Amino acid sequence: MRRYTKLLALVSVLGIIATACAQGGPEGTQTGDQNLQPGGTLELNLLGDVSAAFDPQKEYYSVTWEFYRCCLLRTLMSYRGTPTEEGGTEIVPDLAADQPTVSDDGLTWTFTLKDGLNFGPPFEDVPITAADFARALRREADPEGSSGGYNFYYSVIEGFDEYAAGDADDISGVTAVDDKTLEVKLTREAGDFGYRMAMHATAPIPPSPTDPEAPLGAATGHDKDYGRFLVASGPYMFEGSENLDFTAAPKQQDPVSGYEPGKSITFVRNPSWSADTDENRPAYVDRIEFSIGGTEEDNANQVDQGILDMQFDGVAPPQQVRQYQQDPNLSDQIFINPSDAVRYLSFNIAQPPFDDINVRKAVNFAIDKEGMRRIRGGPLVGEIANHIMVDSLQNNELKDYNPYPSPNNQGDIEAAKAAMKESKYDTNGDGVCDDPVCQDVLAVTDEADPYPDQAALISSNLEPLGITLDIKSFERTTMYDKCNDIGAHTAFCLAPGWGKDYADGTTFGEPLFGSGAIGPDACCNYALVGAAAEDLAKAEYPTTDVPNVDDALTACDETPAGDDRVSCWAAVDKDLMENVVPWVPYLFDNYVRTVSERVQNYTFDQFAGLPALEKVALSGGGA
Amino acid sequence: MRGAANIASARRSLGGREALAQVASEPIVGTGLGPEGAAGEPSAQVVGRSPWQLFWRRFRQDKFAFAGIIFIVLMVGLAVAAPLIARLVGHGPNQLFLYETTDEFGLPKGPHAAFFFGSDTAGRDLFVRVVYGARTSLIVAFFATGISVVIGVIMGLLAGYYRGKIDTFVSRIIDIVMSLPILLLALGLVAACGASKVGCLGGALKPGLLLVSYVIALFNWPYIARIVRGQVLSLREKEFVESARAQGSGDLRIMFREVLPNVVAPIIVYSTLIIPNNILFEAALSFLGIGVPINVPSWGKMLSDAGQGIFVVAWWMMVFPGLFLFITTLAFNLVGDGLRDALDPRTGR
Repeated sequence: MRRYTKLLALVSVLGIIATACAQGGPEGTQTGDQNLQPGGTLELNLLGDVSAAFDPQKEYYSVTWEFYRCCLLRTLMSYRGTPTEEGGTEIVPDLAADQPTVSDDGLTWTFTLKDGLNFGPPFEDVPITAADFARALRREADPEGSSGGYNFYYSVIEGFDEYAAGDADDISGVTAVDDKTLEVKLTREAGDFGYRMAMHATAPIPPSPTDPEAPLGAATGHDKDYGRFLVASGPYMFEGSENLDFTAAPKQQDPVSGYEPGKSITFVRNPSWSADTDENRPAYVDRIEFSIGGTEEDNANQVDQGILDMQFDGVAPPQQVRQYQQDPNLSDQIFINPSDAVRYLSFNIAQPPFDDINVRKAVNFAIDKEGMRRIRGGPLVGEIANHIMVDSLQNNELKDYNPYPSPNNQGDIEAAKAAMKESKYDTNGDGVCDDPVCQDVLAVTDEADPYPDQAALISSNLEPLGITLDIKSFERTTMYDKCNDIGAHTAFCLAPGWGKDYADGTTFGEPLFGSGAIGPDACCNYALVGAAAEDLAKAEYPTTDVPNVDDALTACDETPAGDDRVSCWAAVDKDLMENVVPWVPYLFDNYVRTVSERVQNYTFDQFAGLPALEKVALSGGGA
Repeated sequence: MRGAANIASARRSLGGREALAQVASEPIVGTGLGPEGAAGEPSAQVVGRSPWQLFWRRFRQDKFAFAGIIFIVLMVGLAVAAPLIARLVGHGPNQLFLYETTDEFGLPKGPHAAFFFGSDTAGRDLFVRVVYGARTSLIVAFFATGISVVIGVIMGLLAGYYRGKIDTFVSRIIDIVMSLPILLLALGLVAACGASKVGCLGGALKPGLLLVSYVIALFNWPYIARIVRGQVLSLREKEFVESARAQGSGDLRIMFREVLPNVVAPIIVYSTLIIPNNILFEAALSFLGIGVPINVPSWGKMLSDAGQGIFVVAWWMMVFPGLFLFITTLAFNLVGDGLRDALDPRTGR
């Protein structure tokens, strides 16, 4: 599950519809447009470098996922690189010739590869075969190869954990039947396994030219830096990939020149890639250049001036949004897309006063969600969230569900006080907390805009309940560390956001509410739902008894894909909101980006929540 | 400002009223060397004036300094009356008026009848926050300056009076503190001590206004100490010190009753001049996001809020806090200059 680094999105679904009507739908893919010309260099900026130097088994960050999907790596299954309404969250065959075949018991998945697939330089002559996927899965199982990644998604494969633990020579459930056929056996049903084979940890790794039997192939000896020796399979590759020399000893090899960590990234065309085998990637531009570092303000100005072609990991600042929305000449250069992420406030349900569910309910009533949205950019930033999982994952089943309603979503202090009355911290029953634990409650937030303003709003919302916050603001990574550490006793985490990994409720389940996801060693169950009694005692919490939803999460995980599975997750969502109350969700937000004049065919990739770079063309081919 | 003779005269006025008569006859304090006003009076006979009278006559004629004083008094009044002003306006410093003062893009609206200075991005009344910001600035500035002066004077007295090893020791500490990268260290200290509820040094330094004041004071006392030390080094050789010693006065008495009153003038002048520095330092720390706590309005923080490119569409967020910060530091500087000129007749204007 990916944390969202920079979400400061600014336009709502209403906004989308409005703009779509007004402008003939700039949000869609303008497919069938015959005027798009290939060529040119797309100039972009990344506010921050990728998180694991492009190592496909380690990268758990939306930006890198988009780079892999659009450009560098193909997987058996993949996405169209389009918005939800154009099937952007459905998986389609990519390196696979067709959808996988699944045995009747749901445990054996068979993938068949397309013909005519070769790796990028320096392995132009090496065909992509089923064994290459086995190498990737081995590396994903290898704790060194995948540290910080998402190997939990694959422990459902037979023999995966044994191989990871070093108890087996190979993953028994992964078999390359022949060059074109990969067979994967699972230990239990997983309706979403196809999605897991669309993540880039499974992208093919070529064999080592010096030792064809090496379990990790070309990645051997690159436990920490395979990202800089990445062999491409997509339409683009790092500049200088042709100079990689895998025949030398790993330590003697020189990395690609097209990625200087912290400075720049350059993609050029991969000569091995052919549009004949790839119907999802038109790959218009010849070259994509990223500088790394900068601010959203700089990016906005440079997009204005045409120096940059669009915002990428940042969004347009509110003043730019207003300008582009209001100026008819610019209104076709702004794009609004739902990010499939939720923004929320996370309680620590073991830390007073939030160890009392009634206090948590009271806070859910008290928060002015409309105000939170206004601070983030007004009614255009997204939809008010009243539950946990984004509506698109639940077929909108809970769209009208609101367990803590308030007039205009501006908070209902009377209802909040009524909930507070039930709490053990309100001894005189006046709806105001009168226990000292409600004073100076430790709350942690992001120091960057708009979080300090939001913190001010939250403080003022909680004041009538007798709760005062001691707000500490940190740089974002530190903020997450403080929220994630069970020993930090952070009572209220004010700035987290969570985006889907793929369009299934499971990506909002285990990592957020599973007892195995409690930090500091795991992530991201800041609420401590299901925390073990001994761990709570060890961290000196006054309570050792918190709600646990592990069984419900597992039950949904094992439900086959389909309506039942969706409803199962919706039920978990409701149960969490009413009987656990770990969060105050407040926004399902949107991304708002502006693009330069020369950008054509802007398309939003709903999978990673970022612009689909392979679909962007430059006017006149960038000439 | 280092005129030892003039200082000596100041000493007398503070040290004992009985010295008044001598003052008038002492040539250095005479009107001849004073600024034009004192000299310009065609008086046949020599009028006896206390050093304070002389000081006041000179200071009063410095219009800029006088304007500075008036502005500072106003600002202090504003700061003291902040809660009253907030009540009159009807907006608290941390009260949000999102729906009244921001547009549908969440951008703040400019000055109008109910919000004189407009509002910030959280929909708070900028006028009330600027007034409360004066509180923060002045509290931190005065408090930090106070601490600096106390430490600086004691260290300077010890070093200058005892000389030798003590002087070497104190002077090296001063050198070390002055060679520290102030802003970096301050950033580190405030961040480290402000990160948790407990603070640091086992709870001795708690996060908040005081912490910021301590940190600022930590870096300012050496300047005072140096000046005091220099003065004391020469003063301790003067006759009145020798006579006090001959009378059997102890070191402490000589230091604090005889020497200290003679360095009051430079201390006053220098304190006045470091106040604006401290105001700016606090603003800088807050601007960098590690100054005063998040719910305390501060000019520096307001400027930082405006600095995210938002000032392009909301000039008032930059202009009002900036203007107050500017005028306040200017006022203190003018007063400091005026004091220096008035207390030290040898600096011609």
